[in-house]
Amino acid sequence: MSMRIVFDGVKLSFGDKIIFDGLTTEFESGRATAIVGANGAGKSTLLKLAGRFLEPDDGTVKAFDGDKELLRAEYRKRIAALAPTMNLYDRLTASENLKFFAGLRDAAIDDIDGLFARVGLTVGDGKKYVGEYSTGMKQRLKLAIVLAVDADVWLLDEPGANLDEAGRSMVLSEIARAVGEKKLILLATNDPIEAEAAENVLRL
Amino acid sequence: MGRSNGIKILTVLRKEITAGLRHRAALASMLMFALTALACMSLALGGAALEPKILAALLWIVIFFASTVGLDRSFEDEAAAGTLATLKVYADAQSILFGKMIYSLLSLTALTIFLLPMFIILFDCPIAAPLSMLLTVALGLVGLSGAGTLIAAIAATASVKSGLFSILLFPIVLPIFLPAIALTSAAMLGGEISLTMPIAMLLYDAILIVASSILFDYIWN
Repeated sequence: MSMRIVFDGVKLSFGDKIIFDGLTTEFESGRATAIVGANGAGKSTLLKLAGRFLEPDDGTVKAFDGDKELLRAEYRKRIAALAPTMNLYDRLTASENLKFFAGLRDAAIDDIDGLFARVGLTVGDGKKYVGEYSTGMKQRLKLAIVLAVDADVWLLDEPGANLDEAGRSMVLSEIARAVGEKKLILLATNDPIEAEAAENVLRL
Repeated sequence: MGRSNGIKILTVLRKEITAGLRHRAALASMLMFALTALACMSLALGGAALEPKILAALLWIVIFFASTVGLDRSFEDEAAAGTLATLKVYADAQSILFGKMIYSLLSLTALTIFLLPMFIILFDCPIAAPLSMLLTVALGLVGLSGAGTLIAAIAATASVKSGLFSILLFPIVLPIFLPAIALTSAAMLGGEISLTMPIAMLLYDAILIVASSILFDYIWN
C-alpha cells in the first residue's frame, strides 16, 4: 500500500482573499511533510483540501493507492486527523471516546491502557469524563484516537499545541514511528522543531 | 448494508444513548413541552367532551411540536460542541444517519409512552381499537424520526437556524400526519378501518428513509 495525494493547479479563494492560486504538489507514503507559513496563509485549509473535506474552486486534489485513484468515501476511511477545531465528547469518558471513534473505523484496541500510556495518559485518566480534561490532555487523547484507528494518512494540524515539552517530544517520536510504518503525514505547524523533524517542508 | 455497517450504527446508537442519558436536555425539553401543552389544553377545556377527530389532531399537534423541541438538537449540539468535525473525519454518513435516526425514534417512543396514557386519561379518550392506535402511532413516529433526522442535519449547516427545523419539517411530515390523524380518530371510534391508509403511511415512511439515506451522503460529504 503506497498512498499519494496529488494537488494539481489548485485554486481556492475565500471572498476576495486568494489562498491558493494554482498550487501543484504531491505527497506520498513514508514521508512527513511540514506545512509552514504565517497565520492565515492556508495551512489548515491545505489539510482540509488534502482530506477532501473541502473542494477547490479550480484544479483537483486526488488520492491514489498505488495507481488506483480512490473515491472520496474510500479515501476518507484511510484518514486520521487531529485539529484544534475537532473536539471530543465532554460527557463521555476518555475510554468511551476512544472506543467510540475506533469503533467507527472497525479498529480493535487490544491494549487500551498501553495506548493511554503511549500518549502520556494514565489508566485513571481513561475513566475521567473528557469535560474534566485539560486542553493538553484532550490533545493527547486526540492523538490516541489517531493511533488507535491506524490510518494510512495522518493530517495533523498543530499537533504539539497545548502540550508540554514531554508531550511535544512524544508527538515527534510518534510521527517518526509512523513514517517508519510508511504512513503519509501532513503536519501544519508554526513550531520550528516540529517543522525540522519533517523530511519535507512546504512553505505557504 | 453489511454486518460491519450494522455494528457501526450500533456504535453510534450506543454513544447517543449514553450521552443522551447523561445530559437529558433534549428528552427533558420534549417531555416538558408535552406536559405543558397537555396541562394547558386540559385546563382550558375544563373536561368538555371533544370529537375524536379533534382529539386525534390535538394529539398529533403535541407530538409534532414536542418532537421539534428535541429532534433539532441531534446535529446542532454536535456542531456547537465541535464534535461534528471529528465525526466527519471518522464516521461514514450512513452509520451516523441511521444511528441518530434510531435514537430519535427511541426518544419519540419514550415521549409517546409518557404522553399517550396522560392524553387518554386527561381527555377521557375512548380507545375502541388499541392495536390500530399503536400501529398508527408507530408508523407516525418512524416517519417523524426519519424526516426529523435529515432535516436536523440540513438545519445544522445553515447560518440562520432559528425556526428552520419546524418550517422544513412540517411539509415533509404532512403526508404522514393527515392519515395518522384520520387513523387515530378511527381507532378511537372503532369500526372497520381501511388498510389503504396504514399501507400509504408505511410506503411514505420507506420513501422517507430511502430518500434520507441518499440525500445524507451529499450533506455529510
